[in-house]
Amino acid sequence: MFIDFFYTLKNAGVPVSPTAFLTLHKALGKGLVHSLDDFYVTARSVLVKSERYFDLFDQVFAHHFEGAELPDAEGVEVDEMARALLEEWLKNPELLAKALDVDESELSDLTPEELIDYFKERLKEQTEAHHGGNKWIGAGGTSPVGHSGYHPGGMRVGGVSRNKSAVKVAMDRRYKDYSLEGPLTPSMMNEALKRLRNMVPAGPKDRVNLDETLYQTMKNAGEIEIIFERSLKDRLKVILAIDNGGWSMDPYIPMVQTLFNYARAQFKEIKTFFFHNTVYDYIYEDPARYKKPRKVSDMARLDSETRLIMVGDASMAPYELMTADGSIHIEERSGRSSLEQLRFLSETFPHSVWLNPVPERMWRYTQTVSMIRRIFPMFELSIDGLEGAVARLMEKS
Amino acid sequence: MDHTPSRFTGATRYVLDPELAGIVNISMALEMPLLLKGEPGTGKTMLAHAIADSLGMPLIVLNVKSSMKLVEALYQYDTLTRLNDSRFGDSVRNVSNIEEYIKMGKIGRAFTSETRSVLLIDEIDKADTDFQDDMLDVLDQMEFDIIEIDKVVKAVHRPVIIITSNAKKDLSDPFLGRCNFHHIAFPDPKMMRKILDVHFPGLDENLMESAIAAFYKLRELEAVEKKPATRELINWIRALRSDPDFKPKKLLKGEAPFLGVLFKKSGDYQRAAEFTNRRRLF
Repeated sequence: MFIDFFYTLKNAGVPVSPTAFLTLHKALGKGLVHSLDDFYVTARSVLVKSERYFDLFDQVFAHHFEGAELPDAEGVEVDEMARALLEEWLKNPELLAKALDVDESELSDLTPEELIDYFKERLKEQTEAHHGGNKWIGAGGTSPVGHSGYHPGGMRVGGVSRNKSAVKVAMDRRYKDYSLEGPLTPSMMNEALKRLRNMVPAGPKDRVNLDETLYQTMKNAGEIEIIFERSLKDRLKVILAIDNGGWSMDPYIPMVQTLFNYARAQFKEIKTFFFHNTVYDYIYEDPARYKKPRKVSDMARLDSETRLIMVGDASMAPYELMTADGSIHIEERSGRSSLEQLRFLSETFPHSVWLNPVPERMWRYTQTVSMIRRIFPMFELSIDGLEGAVARLMEKS
Repeated sequence: MDHTPSRFTGATRYVLDPELAGIVNISMALEMPLLLKGEPGTGKTMLAHAIADSLGMPLIVLNVKSSMKLVEALYQYDTLTRLNDSRFGDSVRNVSNIEEYIKMGKIGRAFTSETRSVLLIDEIDKADTDFQDDMLDVLDQMEFDIIEIDKVVKAVHRPVIIITSNAKKDLSDPFLGRCNFHHIAFPDPKMMRKILDVHFPGLDENLMESAIAAFYKLRELEAVEKKPATRELINWIRALRSDPDFKPKKLLKGEAPFLGVLFKKSGDYQRAAEFTNRRRLF
């Protein structure tokens, strides 16, 4: 019964397990379900284990039992693209107006909803794919405005960068918050990072040390002597610095998200910083890298026992790493190259690693990766790599 | 609503929506724990109180703490009392019988209780995943070992188990596999009116409407760390009612006294204060 329904759910992307399906049948067998409403409630609470999938479940349910149409993938895509266009519009109306060949002032009168509708219309209008063209919005073209394009002097609108040394990204994506929930479960990382602990006695002396109590009591000729001690607490300090800028990190966001989620839940004392490509004079406490800059040189004041974990693809144009004015941000001109700053960090924190989401076999193709590897021990952001990194971080220096 | 003083008045003070009632009944029939998620202050904890009250069962609450070990929730071996007894020998307990020094923890009490009980495991997300998985094993098997005396404790009556979680992240898969799941959404204004009716019978219509309107408007404020929830609204109305100078008309004008009852974080409070001040000017 309802096997079709089960598979429709599965295909729609709701993680349903056969065990849960059997449980549902058990519920049906017990005569608990008398109406479609009952079935809806039962099926949802038994099969769906996260509110993230409630909406999807509702859609599939309506489709299966009432014949409602499933949202087709294409429609979703247009929606997504329209939304992306809106985002672009908010950031740089002039550029987009030019790309769409319309007057900027014409569009600026519209509300966001109207804009979305307008973009959708435009996207539908464009019936044939314009990938590779040079005028219209499309993917992989050489027009200065577009998606994943490679235009030597042009501006990048967005997309996944193909040649990683795209110089001077004109528009930083100012908001990419990794703390947003990712669909991955952190249980695998959990296993790998479990050993990253530093148990030290802390807090009030409120725990009875039984062995010591017995020993002292005996020594005291049987007169009871209770010995208290502090309980063990994890006091490991961790700094997590994440490269969240530019487009080159985009393909790895889900992986970094998982790490970030895990780290936030697990470590009591964790500081998270963000940087773009590599570290210059400042690193930032806010994901937008805007509001809360911290001078890198100030890091020397922190406890040197702190574990520093850098996360980034370490891929950039060599001069961004080596020259004194390599930063793409004008305000960062202290005269120290990024390479020096990185060396400074690794000297300040002897326990440090660099996690690279790029697979290890690809490392030798990027020059900057091998340069950074000479400063930080580099590990792949995979379960094996994490184990190695943890072992390295817990080493006695 | 864990801080509402109306702890055991339960069902008379809890507005149950029929969907949730169905889920509770199914979980009880399937003998599976029910995992409740939702924003803080949506009445997850209150539900367990309401169930216990309406079914006339005793309620046992296990408040999970981050440092908690599973054994503590099952039983405790009171070594110190035993040591003391063996030294002075003036107690009624038999020192050589360890069993007399075993005290049941919350889960243990729910298992050994003579009547069927409601076991509320509150804020499970605080503990680490090992604790969660091990606990589910115990709840699945409905028995556990007391290692010191090598005795198996079996549940006399299978308790009704309610588990709550505030976490945004999901619990582990094996854990979820053994629970039924429900997410309590934030009540809409219609539901909220019913809830307020239950808490303040005969509340002035004017005050209720304007308070609810102002409350939902304040909830829409962006970039607020902790949005006010039902609990805050109830306390707010209590505060408004106790102020003799207060008139519901003021709320409509955009004034919002006692903002501190609704917004507990200083950043949020400032933001809300700015918002209401700005509205008053127009």
